[in-house]
Amino acid sequence: MSAAIEIRDLAFSYGRRAVLENISLDIPEKQFTVLLGKNGSGKSTLLRLAAGLLTPDAGRVSVLGQDIAAMSLAGRARLLGFLAQSHTSVFPFTVEDVVLTGRAAHVAFVPKAEDREKAERAIDAIGIGRLRGRAFTELSGGEQQLVMIARVLAQEPRVILLDEPTSSLDIFNQARLLKLVREFLDLGLTVLAVLHDPNMAFLYGDNFVFLKDRRVFLPSPGENPWDESVLERVYDARLQAIPHRGRALIVPKEQ
Amino acid sequence: MGTETVSKPMSDGSARRGRAALAWALYLMPLPVLAAALFVGPSSQVRAGHVWQWLWSAAAGAGLSPDVNEFLVRSVTLNIRLPRALLTFLVGGALGASGAAMQSVFRNPLVSPYILGLSAAAAFGAALALATGWLPVQLAAFAFGLLAVGMSYFLARSGRSVSVVALVLSGIIVSGFFTALLTIVQFVADPFKLQTIVQWTMGNLHTANWDKVASSGPLILAGAAGMFLFRWRMNVLAMGDEETRAVGLNPEREKLNILVPATLAASAAVAAGGVIGLVGLVIPHMVRMMLGPDNSRSIPACFTFGGAFLLIVDTCSRAAASFEIPIGIFTTLIGSPFFIYLLKKSRIGWNL
Repeated sequence: MSAAIEIRDLAFSYGRRAVLENISLDIPEKQFTVLLGKNGSGKSTLLRLAAGLLTPDAGRVSVLGQDIAAMSLAGRARLLGFLAQSHTSVFPFTVEDVVLTGRAAHVAFVPKAEDREKAERAIDAIGIGRLRGRAFTELSGGEQQLVMIARVLAQEPRVILLDEPTSSLDIFNQARLLKLVREFLDLGLTVLAVLHDPNMAFLYGDNFVFLKDRRVFLPSPGENPWDESVLERVYDARLQAIPHRGRALIVPKEQ
Repeated sequence: MGTETVSKPMSDGSARRGRAALAWALYLMPLPVLAAALFVGPSSQVRAGHVWQWLWSAAAGAGLSPDVNEFLVRSVTLNIRLPRALLTFLVGGALGASGAAMQSVFRNPLVSPYILGLSAAAAFGAALALATGWLPVQLAAFAFGLLAVGMSYFLARSGRSVSVVALVLSGIIVSGFFTALLTIVQFVADPFKLQTIVQWTMGNLHTANWDKVASSGPLILAGAAGMFLFRWRMNVLAMGDEETRAVGLNPEREKLNILVPATLAASAAVAAGGVIGLVGLVIPHMVRMMLGPDNSRSIPACFTFGGAFLLIVDTCSRAAASFEIPIGIFTTLIGSPFFIYLLKKSRIGWNL
């Protein structure tokens, strides 16, 4: 099992506030890895560093063997797709137009027929064909998120980074989106996602990385990521794990 | 792959064809409007019939009736009306397209060349040139217009990004600054020059001639070509800076790639036609209502429709009055009710 993303000795701070220190991680290829941790634990920052959207103070990130600091933006975009938490468009672009912008790294100035075809196929792959001609600004949060996923697919990256992709979705759309993510693995893609809900992570993820106090938090030997003992330390909360399909569902302890 | 596009619902396809047809109508609109403008003017010796007869005789070799002064008709048509029509078209097109480009770049439907302080600065530059004679009027307007957009942009910059609100605020500050300077120039200028300055700042095209077309036209066309080249990238920028970076474009560099030609075209337009209000703001909205927001279409359409719109307004004002009314007054009179209509209608996304 080789690593799609290698993170070595990474450190990052916003001004004088250190956010991440001494982070080293291997994200395995063709698997769904989930980043978990409390709010403000630096999950989204780590994802942005991995995407090359932020520049680390120290350390390096390489994706499929290539140092991302040395790559052009377009070169990175052909390797890495990134989906932000929420999306704002001021003008009512159609879904097709929005998905087509995913082709920017492949387009000289104006997209060709081939780019339009790839955008169309991405729309069909996500199953949002009926939204094609609709205005992006008029869609629900869940629909917008699916459109942005189609945009990432149209980009044809090898690794996809998702920043809390389910945060604004109802449970039906959360399941739909995460099932799609599992299908991406069959296409040979690697997925790294920040999720705020450990239950969704344990239902759909392959690997779990915890962040706490600016560092990677490692469970003790013999512990599973879904064990109460691990999650209570990660989230600083009283939690109960209810066994479910070989893993567990997590609920707060009463009171 | 071809079969996948066939499966689209019918209504989608016909709406698309309708929009494509509308786009072509907007692209071709300047041709009849330019032609019509040649027939209209206040001269009683060069009426539409006279121009028609002269054209017909030139084309078919037919004789002219004795009441047509061929020399007069030809020189009025070719040396007064044609350059004026072309200049008006170029000015309107430049304002429309650069307004659309600036709105895209800043993701803000309120931005126009005027919000960025361009008009006030260009008016000050022209007034200074008129009052002192230190610089050619067009060069001064152009230089100060560029300076104002640069000032607005760099005042609003904090770190690596430019926020929408900061940009609008810095545009207001820059506008106010140059308006104050303009007032000082008007205050100290002698009365004869003051009249020229006031006329100029109200925006009028009656001084159009081939020299003005030759000095402003290439700058406007160069700016328009730049905006045309980067038109699809405006769609990418519309999704936000981080989203732009994530798909492989540097948003700050793309913004400059678009702003420089947009500023070039708008400054050259203001240098040639004076302050013509609301065209740069209203035209992009009208085009987006007709064609949707896709800049691949709306940028060329804003140029052709903006030009045709201003030319229609100018031609009507020439046909209606025997004396010159500055065109800026008309565009503001037409534009302000439209602006209020836009404000009342929430669909254009005022709630940022």
